[in-house]
Amino acid sequence: MSALPLHRRHGVRLSFRYLIAALLVVIFCFPVYWLFIISFKTPDEIFAFPPVWYPESIQFSNYKVLFKDGDAATVGNSLILASVSTFFAMIFGTIAAYSLVRFKTGGENLAVWIISQRMMPPVAIVFPIFLLYVWLGWVDSYFGLIILYTAFSLPYVIWMMRGYIEDIPLELEESALVDGCTRWEVLWKVVLPMARSGLFATAVFTFIFAWNDFLFALVLTRTEVTTYTVQVTHYFGGQSNFWAKIAAMSVLGTIPVFFTVAVMQRYLVRGISMGAVKG
Amino acid sequence: MSDLKITNLHKHYGAFHAVKGIDLDVPSGEFTVLVGPSGCGKSTLLRTIAGLEETSSGSIEIGGKDVTWARPRDRDIAMVFQNYALYPYLNVKDNIAFGLRARKFAEAEVEKRVARAAEMLGIGHLLTRFPRELSGGQRQRVAIGRAIVRDAILYLFDEPLSNLDAQLRDDMRVEIKRLHKELKRTMIYVTHDQIEAMTLADRIVLLRDGLIEQQGTPLDLFERPKTRFVAGFLGSPKMNFVPATLTAAGVKLADGTALELPGRSGLKAGQAVMLGLRPQHIAMAGTHLAKGHVRVPVVIELVQPTGSRVQATMPLGGTSIIAELGAHDVSRPGEKAEIDIDMTRAVLIDTTSDKII
Amino acid sequence: MRAYHEQTMPATAVHPDRNFKYWLLAPAIFLLLLIGLFPLIYSLVVSFMRIDMMDTDTSFAWFYNYKNLFKDGRLWWSLAHTLLITAIALPLELLLGLAMAYLFLEKMPGRQIFISLLVLPTIISPIVAGATWRLLFDNKYGPINQILSWFAGERVNALWTINPTLVYPAIIFCEIWQWTPFMFLILLAALSNVDKSQTEAAEIDGARFLRTFRYIVLPAIWPVMAIAILIRGLDLFRIFDIIWALTQGGPGTKTETISIYAYTQGFKQFETSYTAAIAFLVVFILTVICTWAIRRMGLAK
Repeated sequence: MSALPLHRRHGVRLSFRYLIAALLVVIFCFPVYWLFIISFKTPDEIFAFPPVWYPESIQFSNYKVLFKDGDAATVGNSLILASVSTFFAMIFGTIAAYSLVRFKTGGENLAVWIISQRMMPPVAIVFPIFLLYVWLGWVDSYFGLIILYTAFSLPYVIWMMRGYIEDIPLELEESALVDGCTRWEVLWKVVLPMARSGLFATAVFTFIFAWNDFLFALVLTRTEVTTYTVQVTHYFGGQSNFWAKIAAMSVLGTIPVFFTVAVMQRYLVRGISMGAVKG
Repeated sequence: MSDLKITNLHKHYGAFHAVKGIDLDVPSGEFTVLVGPSGCGKSTLLRTIAGLEETSSGSIEIGGKDVTWARPRDRDIAMVFQNYALYPYLNVKDNIAFGLRARKFAEAEVEKRVARAAEMLGIGHLLTRFPRELSGGQRQRVAIGRAIVRDAILYLFDEPLSNLDAQLRDDMRVEIKRLHKELKRTMIYVTHDQIEAMTLADRIVLLRDGLIEQQGTPLDLFERPKTRFVAGFLGSPKMNFVPATLTAAGVKLADGTALELPGRSGLKAGQAVMLGLRPQHIAMAGTHLAKGHVRVPVVIELVQPTGSRVQATMPLGGTSIIAELGAHDVSRPGEKAEIDIDMTRAVLIDTTSDKII
Repeated sequence: MRAYHEQTMPATAVHPDRNFKYWLLAPAIFLLLLIGLFPLIYSLVVSFMRIDMMDTDTSFAWFYNYKNLFKDGRLWWSLAHTLLITAIALPLELLLGLAMAYLFLEKMPGRQIFISLLVLPTIISPIVAGATWRLLFDNKYGPINQILSWFAGERVNALWTINPTLVYPAIIFCEIWQWTPFMFLILLAALSNVDKSQTEAAEIDGARFLRTFRYIVLPAIWPVMAIAILIRGLDLFRIFDIIWALTQGGPGTKTETISIYAYTQGFKQFETSYTAAIAFLVVFILTVICTWAIRRMGLAK
């Protein structure tokens, strides 16, 4: 026990917490800072020894190159693939979850089978999927990757939405049925609005999964629908990396997720804690 | 003409037989109350009428149309739910308008009807509020409003007052009764509260174990119950049951007290029965003994004042009975007193069949 | 769909919405069968054949490939590498995440800003995380060696992604950096839901922090923590992106994980049937681990 009075001890503790917190922020944010800063550096600054900790001036030539060469379009590809697949995964996943919750379709077994699909390692199925896609002619097409991402997100969407839908009072749906809604209208006018925050949170995570994907994109794209994750790795070299391009491309690819998360933050926090509590 | 006709309705949940063959006819404009203890099947029956539960066998006709296999929306019904079922993301006005909009009413008509319903229920000033900003009573009014804006043949109420506190419940009961008088619609109301049933109903349907035990006007059931269950279920405080044996002139209680039963004939002497006495039919001994009454000396065990009346517990024939006496008739336990029992209103129950003799 | 809900009442005794629940499930099930089950069955069949770059022989060789799995030293090493990374990174992420969650459990001004900043690494794509650390770890122009030089007082020229003794720390550092915030967020949510009156009562009774944690906090957060461990464990087991960006399995095959190895076999050596067999080995191992973990952690509900 310290001899300090209680409020002093409290103050000391609080400053200590701030100190640690600041240290953590520095450690966890420094790599991100470094990535950003490189993307704004001139080649001289990038390949300076000792390293330049902050550039003299912010210049955008690294980004201009990406746009001029058309490399930046890969971010657009990622955007299309991730948003369209999220859209479909949310629709199909939510209605499937509704069926599982409200009508106990397939019982517990079906639900367990669906979640077990989430445990499937991508590397175990990427190869047969590649062969399937070659056969179907879906390689390097938006359609093929959208289907793939949609299907891959479904177990997660179904699992999360199940929890949110379970919390909707049955009476609300029954009241709508009596009031003149069809089953589809009940879904549209009652279930979706009631599960709104869950829908947003789940959609953000689904989007990020698809956005982050590298392995499927690496295997299933060639030139037409290259995603930004694959594009970043094109700049890796054995000894000399295209540092400026890696950094600028990475920043371009991080900004959309960054904004999505920032805008949706209040849903995400609730989503995580609810998802976590309900499992 | 009857608005609802149910024929031999059964409902199974797996192995559980919830409704065991019910026939019911509800005439147009009548206020029918389905009442019974929990688990008697009254809610299941209502939900089957609404189409929220599938019928296992039997048929349901609403407004002369067979709707046994119809969707809820095709049954021309409106329903008020126990937990109000208000949409939290819609304001009061949109909540009330929900059913009309779902049925594609013109917006002008929606406005008109919502305004009229809101006025009728005194919630006109709440239309722009959201459900979370309302009190329990206000929510219930909105829920009722949502039902009455519709032109349904049948209005269903599933224990709508059970979540309100006692004072509000009394107010809302009056309100619902007034609405029925004004709207003159056919209403079916489920409750487990026998007071609600007695005060609201044109007709009570008393259910027990998935079957109709007895139906009729509230007074009919109260005064002429057909079984011990009906006699015991209706009335507050509950009817007293005293074991007795029939004699030529009346009954003999377990402790030998003989009570005369006027105007009864053909009683089988020696038969074991239950003597049913309503607390209201027992009074303090008056200056003279009225016709058909018997006078019995008792010792008051317990006194529970309710304000205008007092409920006194006392032993009679080996069991405790409750009598509802005047507020100043007795003051403390242990008092010796004489009571007059109105034997013309007493009921006799066959102990083997539980039927009223 | 339109015809479905506008159909008129059937006279037959069939509930009109009877098939509704199947309609709802149909698209999801179709996609899961197409992308989940079909490839699995397909690759099972292929794994019994002997298809490779040279040979498209589709006759059945049955367990030929599976027998070869046992003789394949590189495969078992890749499995060992995977387990090594998982065994080190997972506990570290968990402990660090827990400590951070405790640090931010009590309210303090600016707490939300700190949390938002700390979550930054998790929202970055793993491949970008790997690329970022590739830049940070650069022996000459990267800041890590520079910072180390300050402490060492002389120039440090560590070859993080090449030196066999340094690659694992490099990979694990990157992995922990990216995923500790994830653990932190989930555990913070779980800890915030622990009934405060219970922990306070224990503190008033003079219980030490560890005792309170062991007997009150841990049981309360366990369901959430177990799921977080399971999710992270599965992700670590199939780790690919970060290693691909940092080392591509090198130097040599020193950091080859099971995912990297399967990828190399399938898409660089074109050992079609053999890769399918490896995939099945992975599925088998994961199924065993998951079943065991779910039972062991008491998650079966």
